[in-house]
Amino acid sequence: MAIWVICEEHGDGLRRTTQELAAQARRVAEDGEPVVALAVGACVGRAGWLDGRVHRVVKVAGGGLVPFSADPWVAAVAAVLAEAEPRLVLWGEGTRAREVMPRVAARLGWPAVANALALEAADGGARVLRPVLGGKAYQWVSLGGAPALVAFRPNSFDPEVAADLDTRVEERSAEPCEDRVRVLERTAGDGGRVPLTEAQVVVAGGRGLKDAANLALLEDLADALGGAVGVSRAVVDAGWADHAIQVGKSGKTVSPALYVVAGVSGAVHHTMGMDTAKVVVAINTDPNAPIFKYADYGVVGDALQVLPALAAAVRALGT
Amino acid sequence: MDIAVLVKEVPDLEARVQVVQDGGALDVENKRVLNFFDEIAVAAALQLKEAGGGGRVYAVGAGSGLEAVRRAIAMGADAGFLVDDPAVDGADPLTVARALAAVVRAEGFDLVLAGRQATDDEAGLVGPMVAELLGVPCVVGVTAAEPADGGLVVGREVDGASERLSVPVPAVLTAEKGWVEPRVPQVMGLMKAMKAEIGRRTLADLGVEPVPPLAAAGYHGPRSRPAVRMVEGEPAEAAGELVRILRDEARVL
Ligand SMILES: Cc1cc2nc3c(=O)[nH]c(=O)nc-3n(C[C@H](O)[C@H](O)[C@H](O)COP(=O)(O)OP(=O)(O)OC[C@H]3O[C@@H](n4cnc5c(N)ncnc54)[C@H](O)[C@@H]3O)c2cc1C
Repeated sequence: MAIWVICEEHGDGLRRTTQELAAQARRVAEDGEPVVALAVGACVGRAGWLDGRVHRVVKVAGGGLVPFSADPWVAAVAAVLAEAEPRLVLWGEGTRAREVMPRVAARLGWPAVANALALEAADGGARVLRPVLGGKAYQWVSLGGAPALVAFRPNSFDPEVAADLDTRVEERSAEPCEDRVRVLERTAGDGGRVPLTEAQVVVAGGRGLKDAANLALLEDLADALGGAVGVSRAVVDAGWADHAIQVGKSGKTVSPALYVVAGVSGAVHHTMGMDTAKVVVAINTDPNAPIFKYADYGVVGDALQVLPALAAAVRALGT
Repeated sequence: MDIAVLVKEVPDLEARVQVVQDGGALDVENKRVLNFFDEIAVAAALQLKEAGGGGRVYAVGAGSGLEAVRRAIAMGADAGFLVDDPAVDGADPLTVARALAAVVRAEGFDLVLAGRQATDDEAGLVGPMVAELLGVPCVVGVTAAEPADGGLVVGREVDGASERLSVPVPAVLTAEKGWVEPRVPQVMGLMKAMKAEIGRRTLADLGVEPVPPLAAAGYHGPRSRPAVRMVEGEPAEAAGELVRILRDEARVL
């Protein structure tokens, strides 16, 4: 048996989540059980980080895999995994996992778990933790010994792992496969910033910011902290920001190390998108705002004053 | 265009949830609704039916999803089906997907819509699984679609980029917020839904053998954060102290 990690690229290297998964796979692997990374398409040339950190890297190149495209990816990943019969296959949550993992699961007839937060070795296999009902409870799921696919939220594990292995690299080519869906147009994304769901720091704001122009205060603090910006639904509904950066039930789920949230009341629809953040700092003029129940640290005050003060204090640290 | 909409009934997010039996089970208040994203899918199906010049919209639910199917009919769907089998509640997503795919295959379809995910498990597995089982393409997180050249032109936002895709039918699309704003059903719709005959199928009828679900190995409540620690002072002073705490105590800076 083996634990497999499905790689994803980011910039010139691998997505941080891929690194987290490889590191955690090493921690939970049984004695002598190899950790294998599957680098498909654009990952093939960006897999340097894996050297020494996993036992084996399987690189799959071929038509239709770059840029990412669902049909060819499903075919390529399913073909490799079907032969390999792994115990566990780990994915990072995101569009790619959402498009590919369930289809690979259906094709191979293997069980799949999405949105997981923790992975531990357990008697006779492994267990994973997942939120239920928007984080009102958490459930451990036993995976047993048969192959299973699991997608984990970003920032679930520490990516540090010793590069002490003799990594074997295998190169394969996929059967040519054309996607049935054709891209007519794709606008470039927000290239510079870290994606919201991966960011280690998220600075979020709500209606309490009063005006679209004040979202610049979030951007400025996010820049100082090297993080991403999120907003509440009230901000999206007001037309101040795009739905792509909404946090909550009908938006994104984030799990950063630090979540700074200003002018958000703390409705459950919002908190279910951020409650797994490690440290939460809330800023609100109302000392009784529900958001303080979800916060580790609180400041009662005007966001329009506290946000710039925080940015200044953070910048002062760096100098 | 015949459109199947996969619908799931989920606990309302306001429902009280309690971990009971020492972590052995979950007690969820019986307040149930049609999944938020499925509601968008139903509304989108109705819009596409109009734009495509007719056809049939039918909802397919499973297990304890009867009210979700009726809700979809109240919103305007023409018919509803339910995989009515005790083995479906708590079943593996693959079992559910196989059952839903079997109903859709038997009823005929040009398009299948589902929600991006259900708000109870936020997994988003069943829609794409159904696509794979039906052997048709799948696009997740759709925010726009219109008929074009016998297929569809579909829009969506992914990772900060927006895409326009040409999708052949039949296909499966999963609905994201922003596609269509669902309308509250009218009295006429509610009456129609109450009287509607729901086509019921068991797993045996559909020839689906349930796969054993993964074992639940205990529940716990949300990580209780320690009581919030308030940082006092004028903005500059509070900010300075907060940054010190975040660096030295919480160690996140
Ligand atoms: C089906 C459904 C799905 C939803 N999905 C989401 C979702 O994904 N994400 C989401 O966020 N919401 C979602 N909502 C909406 C949610 O219920 C709340 O309405 C929303 O989160 C409120 O946004 P808010 O906190 O910014 O605004 P408000 O609730 O208006 O809160 C504003 C807060 O700002 C404070 N404030 C005012 N002035 C200042 C100031 N100068 N400085 C600091 N604080 C100030 C106020 O005390 C108040 O607490 C959903 C709702 C429904 C019904």
